[in-house]
Amino acid sequence: MFNPRDIIETLANNVRQTTSPFGIPKFMVNKWYKDVNLPKEGEYMLITGLMYQFAPFIEKSTQYLEKYEGTKMASLLKYARYMPGYLSGIGLAMMTSGKEKKDAGQPLKDIALLLKKSKVNFAYRPDLDNYSGILLYDMGDQKGFVAHAKKIAQKLKDAGVKKIITVDPHTAYAIKELFPKYTGISFEVKSYFELLDLGSKDLGLEVTIHDPCFFGRYLKLSEIPRKVLGNLGITESEIRNKGEFTSCCGGPAESISPSLSNEIMEKRVEELKEPGKPIIAYCPICLGNLKKSGAKVEDLSTLLVRHI
Amino acid sequence: MSTINLDFAEELKEYSDDKALECFNCGTCAAICPLVHDNFPRRMIRYVQVGAREKILENSDELWRCLHCGLCTHTCPREADPGEIILGLKRFVVANWRRS
Repeated sequence: MFNPRDIIETLANNVRQTTSPFGIPKFMVNKWYKDVNLPKEGEYMLITGLMYQFAPFIEKSTQYLEKYEGTKMASLLKYARYMPGYLSGIGLAMMTSGKEKKDAGQPLKDIALLLKKSKVNFAYRPDLDNYSGILLYDMGDQKGFVAHAKKIAQKLKDAGVKKIITVDPHTAYAIKELFPKYTGISFEVKSYFELLDLGSKDLGLEVTIHDPCFFGRYLKLSEIPRKVLGNLGITESEIRNKGEFTSCCGGPAESISPSLSNEIMEKRVEELKEPGKPIIAYCPICLGNLKKSGAKVEDLSTLLVRHI
Repeated sequence: MSTINLDFAEELKEYSDDKALECFNCGTCAAICPLVHDNFPRRMIRYVQVGAREKILENSDELWRCLHCGLCTHTCPREADPGEIILGLKRFVVANWRRS
């Protein structure tokens, strides 16, 4: 386990300096929309919160943390907070392969396609799409989170945004529940799958669904993806822990203790593998973490796009 | 030797809607927690109840093992919100580091 203070101060410093917990400049993180023709104005504003885009950088940094956890080198992490955010961020971005960065944007392209097919009137503006600050909240840096959230929420309000579509559970929770409480600014927030209308089919497929904690318990939305899949004739396998009682994938612990994160992930993967069906995740953190096990896991959006 | 701080509950109000006094120590939270580790989060909640401020600071690293998965809060029979207590303690410890 790393010293939590070293991790938290480094992340907080990066968010303060660059608005990204990894210090990577936004233009190097957010590129998916360049291949998709999306309007700048619409009823809803699509806000990705950059979580899918961060996934390959999380994986790369976790690989290094994993290597040094429990060694003498771990104590050197306390100096990371003194390094300028952009410097470490650009370094991390350069160490991450181009293919991984491109692949991370695919679920977002798929989600945009699904929304278009469902005739949802939505827009995308990369200048308004920012990280929500949720990691600071989870780590207990309340002051850092509130300061960041206020900036992001104000920017959205100033742009006249009233309705937001989110794509991951952490950003959804931050904007829907935490922004009104800590910034005083509220938006109508929908997760993308709440707006899908993909017609009906009889595919006769079965998948195993891994519900993320924030969709299953905090936002109580886990029945909706099941309805979307059900309309296409895709049923779910029975597993012990699902919906409101889902089990964590271990992802939230990966910066503080990659070994603990792996331990939790392996237990969860055992449960998910039991029915022998393809595993579906709908959170970029869960997706990345479960994939590390080598199990066949794909994003809900990938599965849906393949069958429409 | 451990000391207790009778004003600790008051001090914690700045960091969360602390419901630690609702807890009757049944241990459901520790049993359902994916960490299955040394009576977590039950022991920390007990420390809050008795005002063992220094014990929390001494063992503060343990707080960041919490995955914030919410299972403890979802199953707590007293609705004491163990997850929020742990989050509040993290905020308290971070503020304490930054003051020191």
